[in-house]
Amino acid sequence: MWLIVPLVASLVIVVGLWPTDQVTADPEARAYNLAVRLKCPICAGESLAGSQTDLAKNLRLLIDEEIAGGSTDDEIVALFVANYGEQVLLDPPRSGWGVALWVVPLSIAVVGGVAVYGLKRKERDSPEVPS
Amino acid sequence: MIAAVGFLAILVALFSSGWLVIAGIRASQATPADPRGLKIPAIGLAAGGVIAFLSLELAILTHDFTIAYVAKNTAIATPFVFLLAAGWAALEGSVVLWGLMLSVFTWLVWRGVKKGDGLGVLALAVMGAVAVFWFGLMATVANPFAICTEVGNGLCSATSWLPIGDAVAPADGIGPNPLLANHILMAVHPPLLYVGYVGFTVPFAFAISALVRSERSKVWLDRTHRWSLVAWIFLTAGILLGGWWSYEVLGWGGYWAWDPVENAALLPWIAGTAFIHSAIVQRRRSMLQAWNFVLVIITFALTIFGTFLTRSGVVASVHAFSLSAVGPALLIFLGIILFGSLGLFAMRASTVASSPRLESLLSREGFILFNSLLMTLFGFTIIFGTMYPLLVEAFTGREVSVGRPFFDRVAVPIAFLALLAIGTGATAPWRVETGKVLWQRTRVGLNVGFIAAALAVVLGVRSVSIVAIVGLAGFVIANIVAFYVHQASRSHNGGRPWPSALLSTVRNDMGYWGGQISHIGITLAVVAIATTSVLAIRTEVPLAVGETAIIDDYCVEYLEPFSRVEPERNVFGARVAVLDRSCSDVRAVLEPRLHEYTKFGQVIATPSVWTTWVDDVYLNIAATNEDGIRLKVLVFPLQWLLWVGGLVIVAGGVLALGRKPRKRTPTSNQGDKRKHADA
Repeated sequence: MWLIVPLVASLVIVVGLWPTDQVTADPEARAYNLAVRLKCPICAGESLAGSQTDLAKNLRLLIDEEIAGGSTDDEIVALFVANYGEQVLLDPPRSGWGVALWVVPLSIAVVGGVAVYGLKRKERDSPEVPS
Repeated sequence: MIAAVGFLAILVALFSSGWLVIAGIRASQATPADPRGLKIPAIGLAAGGVIAFLSLELAILTHDFTIAYVAKNTAIATPFVFLLAAGWAALEGSVVLWGLMLSVFTWLVWRGVKKGDGLGVLALAVMGAVAVFWFGLMATVANPFAICTEVGNGLCSATSWLPIGDAVAPADGIGPNPLLANHILMAVHPPLLYVGYVGFTVPFAFAISALVRSERSKVWLDRTHRWSLVAWIFLTAGILLGGWWSYEVLGWGGYWAWDPVENAALLPWIAGTAFIHSAIVQRRRSMLQAWNFVLVIITFALTIFGTFLTRSGVVASVHAFSLSAVGPALLIFLGIILFGSLGLFAMRASTVASSPRLESLLSREGFILFNSLLMTLFGFTIIFGTMYPLLVEAFTGREVSVGRPFFDRVAVPIAFLALLAIGTGATAPWRVETGKVLWQRTRVGLNVGFIAAALAVVLGVRSVSIVAIVGLAGFVIANIVAFYVHQASRSHNGGRPWPSALLSTVRNDMGYWGGQISHIGITLAVVAIATTSVLAIRTEVPLAVGETAIIDDYCVEYLEPFSRVEPERNVFGARVAVLDRSCSDVRAVLEPRLHEYTKFGQVIATPSVWTTWVDDVYLNIAATNEDGIRLKVLVFPLQWLLWVGGLVIVAGGVLALGRKPRKRTPTSNQGDKRKHADA
C-alpha cells in the first residue's frame, strides 16, 4: 500500500520530464548564463551579470550581439579569455591548477568518510567502555 | 572634548580587559575560585565599551567634524537613521560596535559567575584576552576618535592620533558611502551580524577554559548553549537581511553572489550550525567531545577570518569598504587563536576526548555526525575556493578568479545530501535505528515527497532539479509533521484533548521542536533558492512613454518619468504599470529609480518589486536615453518563500531558546523515556 503512491508518482514524473523535442535555449537566458560565468574585468569580484558599471553593461551588450551573430557559448567565452586573460573566468577550467580546486575538497571528503568508518569499526572491535 | 572622553573610555576598557585576564587567571588558581576580584575590571570593561560607543554616536549626531571619522563618514544633510548607522558603517566604528557588544557580553557572563566557579572565572579571563585585542585595535590602528588637525579642500587632510591639541573642523563632512546609505536595511544588517559574530566568543571562552582545566564534563556546553543559540539566531537573521538588502538595493536581481565577504558571513554560520548540532549529541549521548572543541574553535576563528577578509582587502570584493593596518593585526590575531587554541586542544585531546561509542550510523547521532562532516566539507571548500586565487597567484603568479559558478556547483549536491539527512535523521531515534523504525518514520515523507514531485510535473515544471528539490522538501517536511502528529497522538491517547496534546508535545521539548521548525524553514528557503535561480526570467526592454512590452505572464507599460531632489541625492524615476498578459488590467504601479549622489559622482539604480504569491516582478532602470528608458524586467517565482523560510528558521531558533530545563531524577529522565518509546 505504502509503495503504490511512489510508483505511480514516479511514472508521472518520468513521463512528464521525458525529453521530447530539442528546446533551443532562449538567447536572453543564454546571455545571462554567460554573464554569470564571466568576471567584470574592472570590478572587485563581481560578475558581468552583477555589475552596474558601464563596462559591464557594454560587455553584456557584446554577449547579446555575439549570440545574435550565431556564436556558440564556447566561442564567446574564448573571445573573453583572449581579450581579458584567464582571470575573466569565474569558474576556472578543470585543467592544470584548476584540478586542485576539485581534487582537494574531494580528497577531504574521502578522508572524512574513512575517519567515520574507522570510528565505527573501532567501536565494533573494542569492548564498550562505560563513561 | 567628546573625542577625549571617547578615547579615555577606550583606554579604560583596554586597561580593564588586561586586568580581567590577570585577575581571572589568578582567581581560577585559588580554591575555591573566587570571582570577587573580577568585579571592577568586568564593570570597567563594560563601562568603557558603552561610553566609547555613546561618545562616537554623540559626536556623529552633534556633527562634531573635528573628529576625522565623523567628518569622513557623515554630513550635515545625512538623514537621522544613517547618522546613527554611521556609528558602525565604516571600519573604526564597526570595531567600536564590536567592542561594545563584547564588553557587554563579558559583563553578562560575569554576572552568572559565582564563587567556586573556576570554569567561569577562567572563561572571563579568555574573554578579557579577546577584549584586549579589540580595544587595543581601537587605541592604535583603528582609533575612531583621531582628530582633524588640518583642513584642505574642505576635507580633513591631516589627523592626530591622540585627541589632544588644536582640532580644526571642515565646514561639512563627506557623508556615508552611498551604497550603505541607500536603504534602511543597511543600518540593521551589520549589528545583527555582529551580535552573531561576537556571541560565539562566549562558547569559545568556556571551551578554552575547559581545555586548560582539563574538564571532561559537558558543563561548558550546558552553560553556553543559549549563548550559541542566540549568536546563531542573530547570525542567521543578519545574513538573511544582508541578502534581502542586496535584492532590494543592488539592482542586479539577486540576493547572494558568493562574494568573498558574503562567504565570510556564511562560514561561521555553517561551522556554528554544525557546532550547535553536535553539542546536542554530546549533551544527550556524551559523544563527540573532542569534535565539539574543534568546532567551537573553528567557529570563533572564522568570525575573525571573516572580519579579516572584509577589512584587509586581500581578496577582491565589493564589500571591502576600507583598507588599513587593521588587516595585518587581524591576521596575527587569527594566527594566535588558531595555533594557540588548536595547540592547547592537541595537548589536552587525550584527556578530554570521549571513547567513540557510535553504535550505528543509522541513528540520530549518526545523521548529525554525517551532516556536521558535510558542513565542515562545505565550509572548507568555500574557504579553499575563496582563497584559491591568492594561492595560485602566490605560487605561479597567474591571476585567476573563482566565483559563483564554482560555489553553486558545490552547494547544490551538498544541499541535496544535507536535506536528505535532515529528513531522515531528525526523526530517527538515538543509538540505533532499526530498518523497521526507519520505514515507519519515513514512509509518510516518502509518499508526500513523491506526490509533491509529481504535482510539480503536472503543474508544468519541466526542470529536473526543481522537481527533485520539491520532492525532497515534501519528504523532509512531511516526515517532521508526521512525527509530530504521531508524538501528539500518544499524548492524546493518554487522555488529553487534541489541542492540548499538540501544545504539550512542543512544550515538553522546545529545543527539539524549535529545531524541527528551523529544519522546515531551511527546506522552504532551499526550495525558493532553487525556483528563483532556475526558473527566473530576465529580460531588458527599451520603453518610451506609453509603450508596453509583454514578459512572461505580465505586460509592463511605461507611464511617465518623474524626478525630485532629496537630501544628498537627486532622484530620477520611471512610473511603470504592471498589467496582466493582455495589457488591459493594471495590477500594480512600480517606481524603479536612479539615485544620483552628486558628491560622490555615483548613480545607484534602485529597483522596485511587486510581490505576489506566485512570483516577484522586479523592475530596474538599466539606462536612460532621449527615447525613454531601458527597463530590466525580472520575474522570480516564489521569491517570498525565501524570506518566509528565513523567518521560520529564526522563529524555530527562538522557540528552542525557550526549552524547558530537563528535570533529571535518578529513576527516570526524558532520555530514557524516549528510548523506551522508541523501542
